[in-house]
Amino acid sequence: MICLNKNVIRSITVIAVFFCLVWLIGLGWAVGEYYAGKPENIPQTNTVSDKVENKKGLTIVALGDSLTRGTGDETGKGYVGVLIDEIKEKTKRPVQLTNLGINGQTSTQLSKQVQQTEIGRQIEKADMVLVTIGGNDLFRGGQGLADFETGDVAAIEKKYLDNLKFILEEIRKNNRNANVFFIGLYNPFIDLDQGKEMSKVVRHWNYDSAEVSAAFPKIVFVPTFDLFELKVNDYLYSDKFHPNTKGYRLIAERVASLLTW
Amino acid sequence: MEKNITLSVKDLKKEIGKREIIKGLTFDLREGEVFGFLGPNGAGKTTTIRMLVGLIKPTSGSVRICGFNLEDHFQDAMKNLGCIVENPELYPYLSGYNNLLHFARMLEGIGEKRIKEVTELVGLTERIHDKVKTYSLGMRQRLGIAQALLGEPKVLILDEPTNGLDPAGIREMRQFIRYLAEKEGLSVLVSSHLLSEIQLLCDRVAIISRGTIIRVDTVEHLLANRERVVWRISPFEKGKQLLSSLTPIEVKEDGTILTEFNEQKTPEWNRQLVEAGVSVTEINRKMPVLEELFLELTGGDTIE
Amino acid sequence: MNKLIQNEMMKLIAKKRLIVIALIIGVLVTLFTYAQYKQVQTQREKLGTSDWRTILQQQIIDTTNRLSSSRMQDEWKKQLQISLKQQQYYLDHDINPAEPGAPTFMRIFLENSIDLFLPLMVMVIASDLVSSEHSLGSIKLLLTRPIKRWKVLLSKYITLCLAVSLVVAITGILSYLISGIVFGFKGWGAPILTGFNVTETGLNTSEVKLLSLWKFLLMDFGLVWFVSIVVGTLSFMLSVLIRSTAAGMGVMLAALISGAILTNMVSSWETAKYLFMVNLRLTDYMKGTAPPIEGMNLSFSIMILFVWWAAALFVSFFVFTKKDVY
Repeated sequence: MICLNKNVIRSITVIAVFFCLVWLIGLGWAVGEYYAGKPENIPQTNTVSDKVENKKGLTIVALGDSLTRGTGDETGKGYVGVLIDEIKEKTKRPVQLTNLGINGQTSTQLSKQVQQTEIGRQIEKADMVLVTIGGNDLFRGGQGLADFETGDVAAIEKKYLDNLKFILEEIRKNNRNANVFFIGLYNPFIDLDQGKEMSKVVRHWNYDSAEVSAAFPKIVFVPTFDLFELKVNDYLYSDKFHPNTKGYRLIAERVASLLTW
Repeated sequence: MEKNITLSVKDLKKEIGKREIIKGLTFDLREGEVFGFLGPNGAGKTTTIRMLVGLIKPTSGSVRICGFNLEDHFQDAMKNLGCIVENPELYPYLSGYNNLLHFARMLEGIGEKRIKEVTELVGLTERIHDKVKTYSLGMRQRLGIAQALLGEPKVLILDEPTNGLDPAGIREMRQFIRYLAEKEGLSVLVSSHLLSEIQLLCDRVAIISRGTIIRVDTVEHLLANRERVVWRISPFEKGKQLLSSLTPIEVKEDGTILTEFNEQKTPEWNRQLVEAGVSVTEINRKMPVLEELFLELTGGDTIE
Repeated sequence: MNKLIQNEMMKLIAKKRLIVIALIIGVLVTLFTYAQYKQVQTQREKLGTSDWRTILQQQIIDTTNRLSSSRMQDEWKKQLQISLKQQQYYLDHDINPAEPGAPTFMRIFLENSIDLFLPLMVMVIASDLVSSEHSLGSIKLLLTRPIKRWKVLLSKYITLCLAVSLVVAITGILSYLISGIVFGFKGWGAPILTGFNVTETGLNTSEVKLLSLWKFLLMDFGLVWFVSIVVGTLSFMLSVLIRSTAAGMGVMLAALISGAILTNMVSSWETAKYLFMVNLRLTDYMKGTAPPIEGMNLSFSIMILFVWWAAALFVSFFVFTKKDVY
């Protein structure tokens, strides 16, 4: 019976004792480190080690709010997803999408987001950048409908335009060459009582946004206002705010028509 | 000359809850003596034995082994004791040798030499390196004895040592126990519920019933005047009359007659019967059965 | 004493329990490795990249979006916020939280097996240590030697501790070897962060420290070992109290599984934090995830486990030395 040899038992015991001590040290260290260990100052990296990936396909970065996320689309794709599908089909190249859209994001939040090191790096290696922003600034989840007539709109827009300028600057700073498509706003409330007045505000908003983007090279403002002008309810999700699948398809097709290779 | 007392039990009691299981036992064991512990199942034999070996703590009373009180000097007392309680439950997944090694390690100064000795003593040398699960019951019993003898004890306690053995095994075990007592000078305490076994094996017997010792005596004394002779005779009536004139008789339903056994007189009665023309077809010495002994000793107190 | 421990080791090895446990661990590690490999694969396919920063960034965005959903339980929300902040911290400091390689796999495996799997393995050994002697009847032979009962039990307990050490070591070695074949054997020096403090307000990163993965792993192993010892001791106590191995295992199994369930729902039942089974996930404190109940931290959990350990040990020895053996 080999496994009951005296020496086997003894060596297993010795090994066990050894590990017992090792684990005990580990335990002591863990407890000690947890309390006595001094925090180190770990430098925050601002420059990312530029390990250039061997890129095979297109890299697309999508920034912005719930429209970028695709909220309201039952298929979950959003205009970004639909657009990517079309690009894949046309170019037959693999596409890498980084969707950085966050529901409810305002221009202020986005201007903070684009300052993050990693976001910057993502933008840097992108071949194309898609942006939707401003909807949450203007409509504020429907509240904008109630108080758009007050003079506040002007102040809000002023702040938005400053943010937008900053965001676009950041993008350009990180990436000189990529095409940037900035998607304009539509008016989801056009069928309501105050729809006409609201439309006026949106048109003005879009105009100013287009003006800001025009100041940068290769930044294209993509209007969507007209897409939703007629039969707006056919293209809206049940929340009467976000587009539905059809609505997103409209936006995606418009962007797709602008692509050049 | 009185031999040394090796095991001394005084007023041993055990209560479980409010029930008194053992009601005060007192007895002694001497060197070289085989002491029988006789009683029906449930009389308290096992509980008593477990108290003797320290498995159960007595409620009161003392157990001394070679002068050491079991409770105060557990180690010194246990050094002089070897035991098998019920079946010898050894580790089936170890070899016989490793089992012995295991128990030898629990004793001071017992080495491989002693293991070899006891192995030879119980005649297991050939199979000692096989696993215990391949052993027969008799072999396990012998291995059990071997482990009990490892520490060269003065007192050996065996609980039902012949349980489950075949007749040949029983005889072998009996001879072995006698050998240990007579040649090695051990005191052996054997418990059993079989009178015949105790009778053949023991020097003295304690009869225990319902937690008390009814009697402690030598086997001869205990059995004296309790042996019977069974007679089968014809013609029945004539023989019966003749016998009853010689000694008190008892007529059994199956047509036999019982008389007392007397070494001198029984052959004489036989002769007289034959001379009177009564043919004796059977004369049989009959041991008293435990039940009868109990009935007698306890005065009608039945065994459960 | 030495000889008694030798005896117990001999029985332990002869029963081949350790080999069975090693086999079980081996199978589980293999499954885990495969699952991990698959996960990495699908992630890579989905995002079209193997760049950990992109993957982590995407995870952060996904978590942020999940948080914006209003129909979320507060508890869950808080946990997500903590892990979000932690992920962002890793990203900001350019540290990969899951450096590919066998050491990272070991870390993940340990973190996932500390509260159920390893305790179960330890239980298999511990719960049978004393009760098997009862069911076999050999306890009668063991206790009729000229050796005090507490010494007999102590030798068994020391053997248990040694066996637990071995089980933990086997886990480490097997998980390293098996996962190494798939993920590579390197990565011991990879940096990892520890010292995140979960407070009322969320995650406190002011005391974060940078450690090499091997140091972190050694600490993890220490904690896992401690948990295993405590669970082993509790099973050991049950093994003394309950004569049937199966019943002892059943009780322990119920406790462990209820612990795993409780950790997910006890947040509102505050006194539950004094139960040993919700305190088993010690490695989480190193990693910096939210504790199941507010106010729990490493020293609290270690204290609780220590108290349970001491009590179990006391009960074991008290009962074992006093008990009548039938």
